[in-house]
Amino acid sequence: MKTFAASSALALLAGLGLASGALADGEYAGVTIDAKLIGGQQYEALYARIPEWEAKTGAKVNIVSQKNHFELDKEFKADIAAGAITWCVGSNHSSFAPQYPQLYTDLTPLLPAETIAGFVPANIEAATLDGKLVMLPRAQFDVSALYYQKSLYTDPAKAEAFKAKYGYDLAVPETWDQFRDQAMFFADPPNFYGTQYAGKEEGIAGRFYEIVVANGGKMFNDDFSPAFNSPEGKMALQWFVDLYKAGAVPPGTTNYLWDDLGNGFASGTIALNLDWPGWSGFFNDPAASKVAGNVGVAPAPKGAAGVRTGWSGFHGFSVTEACANKEAAASLVDFLTNEDSQALESAAGPLPTRTAVWDKVIADAASDPYKAEVLAAFQETAKTAFPVPKTPYWIEATNLIYPELQAAILGDKTVDEALQTASDAVDSLMRENGVY
Amino acid sequence: MYQMRLPPWLVLLLPAFVILLAVVAIPLVLSLYSSFTAFQLTRPETITRWIGTFNYGKAMGDANFWAAFGRAVLLLTLALNLEMLLGLGLAVMVAKVTLGQRLLRTMMMFPMMFSPILVGFQFKFIFNDNVGLLNNALQSLGLTDVAIPWLVDGNLAFLAIVAAEVWTSTSVFAILILAGIFAIPQDPVEAARVDGCTPWQTFRYVTLPFLMPFIYIAMAIRSLDVARAYDIVQVMTAGGPARRTELLWTLIGRTGYVDARMGYANAMGYIAILLSIVFTVYFFRKLTTARTSLGMGD
Repeated sequence: MKTFAASSALALLAGLGLASGALADGEYAGVTIDAKLIGGQQYEALYARIPEWEAKTGAKVNIVSQKNHFELDKEFKADIAAGAITWCVGSNHSSFAPQYPQLYTDLTPLLPAETIAGFVPANIEAATLDGKLVMLPRAQFDVSALYYQKSLYTDPAKAEAFKAKYGYDLAVPETWDQFRDQAMFFADPPNFYGTQYAGKEEGIAGRFYEIVVANGGKMFNDDFSPAFNSPEGKMALQWFVDLYKAGAVPPGTTNYLWDDLGNGFASGTIALNLDWPGWSGFFNDPAASKVAGNVGVAPAPKGAAGVRTGWSGFHGFSVTEACANKEAAASLVDFLTNEDSQALESAAGPLPTRTAVWDKVIADAASDPYKAEVLAAFQETAKTAFPVPKTPYWIEATNLIYPELQAAILGDKTVDEALQTASDAVDSLMRENGVY
Repeated sequence: MYQMRLPPWLVLLLPAFVILLAVVAIPLVLSLYSSFTAFQLTRPETITRWIGTFNYGKAMGDANFWAAFGRAVLLLTLALNLEMLLGLGLAVMVAKVTLGQRLLRTMMMFPMMFSPILVGFQFKFIFNDNVGLLNNALQSLGLTDVAIPWLVDGNLAFLAIVAAEVWTSTSVFAILILAGIFAIPQDPVEAARVDGCTPWQTFRYVTLPFLMPFIYIAMAIRSLDVARAYDIVQVMTAGGPARRTELLWTLIGRTGYVDARMGYANAMGYIAILLSIVFTVYFFRKLTTARTSLGMGD
């Protein structure tokens, strides 16, 4: 522990040394950086550090827009269409980034190599599109792990009944098949449900994507022609259909998005919940959650191929190609994602994207068993996490896929019909855009 | 030196022309033009990629588009008729009140003051299957022991949206019809009574014909609103699940802004405008007939 403290102090000093080396006093005096940043309580604490950067460099930051990512996305698209890229720094997200191939500049030549080396390599890889490092990840890394109600696994009557029905011991699920069995077993509608899932838009398309991968399949071939209409894809969709048909999920789940899921699990009416790290504090807060004190966290289960699900994404900051002072803008982006900034953000719960900060949060959590359990589960899941397919048409493809997934879940179409329709629609989308 | 002088009428009208050109004509022409291109918001250079009537052909051949179109017509028909009947009832009752009528009229307008987004959230919560007000009430009263999926079942979700639309806009009809009731000359009504008409006959054959012009004006205004229904639906169901409540503008909005395919979205928008034109022409014809039969027409 002592050694760690000493080494982290050294690392911190080294970090500060680097930071002060990079930020020469008054280096950008007179420069104003216009920024469009993601708003919302969990994201804004970081922006309180901006005056520190301003004092150091002499530059000014002017936040011209602060909205949620979906609204920012629409605004960016309108700006691109109008040719009105008058700002320098923008919030970005790994799922949205491939949509704006010409908007952002390559950060590699603007930053010291050791800065980039401090990030988790998988994150840098996911932030690199067509060889361009389009953003630096902030401490808002997202991958889903399994939250569950611990008391369900300590009840001997349940354990006995489960074994009698399914022929194996009741334990926290390690595979999606076990997860399905247990969700059906625990369900007692309309008061209690085995699980729930995001049922629309990128939410369900992303879940489907990660289960396809966990089953050993893929969403797209190398030329980005659709590949999900496969045995692995059918198996994945069948999983959603089975849970819905069995009444193991709330009947409204096809309309649910993240807030509905988080509030649902916190209401104590859901047994198993695959969810993001940002909810961990909320679920265990007695003022907000009925399951506080009863929450267990495990790594995401594995699919038929023995691969863990791990659809992941992260927030970051990018510099526009049209920016007049890219060096100053890159310096701001660097500052907002450096070790101090990431330590500040991850102290509130979100996961970091810098190796040193991962080590720090795990060491800090040593005295808090729940936090340690959360971090261990997410770190294990993060090891094999993967980003969305790197095509500008990902979001558009998900908009074609999700209504078909819903149609199969609700029984309007069979699994085969739904995937065939979705695959045909994505195929014509790709052809129309000249992808192949 | 020759100096061009514009006639005074043109000079006076010029500001109006310029403003109309800037805020109406140019955007209309530009969006019409872009509907013939492969314009994508994220790739500005595509606005010059002329693809002829490809977008229109694609929309015409798209079953999802026509399903949304049909649903929009159904929503229009259902919501307008319900709003008209409820608004008429409300107006007739409020007209009878003598004490506190002004307060009632003000209260009647409350739903119109809410932003549609807020109304959407309010009804989304009421109809939520798990924690919603309606299901909890039904379960507590012992009327059902299942969670009714109000916003998932195609018919129920559609009715939930109609309920939200009706709640928020019935007062438009009520206010306009109330104005009509106040404008009715009393002589024919009294004459009908003297001739021994029952209250129903008086209402049906004297009052209602006088109110019809007001009803048609309300219908024309609301038909334009409902044909563009977007915010309430977007919040409550976003057109889903499985496109079961997809309306024209949820589809067009997603295509234009989320998928960034503005050219295609504009083509669908232009086809959708036909719907508004048809309904408006229909109601104006009805209005003219109603006015003529009252001797108010030209």
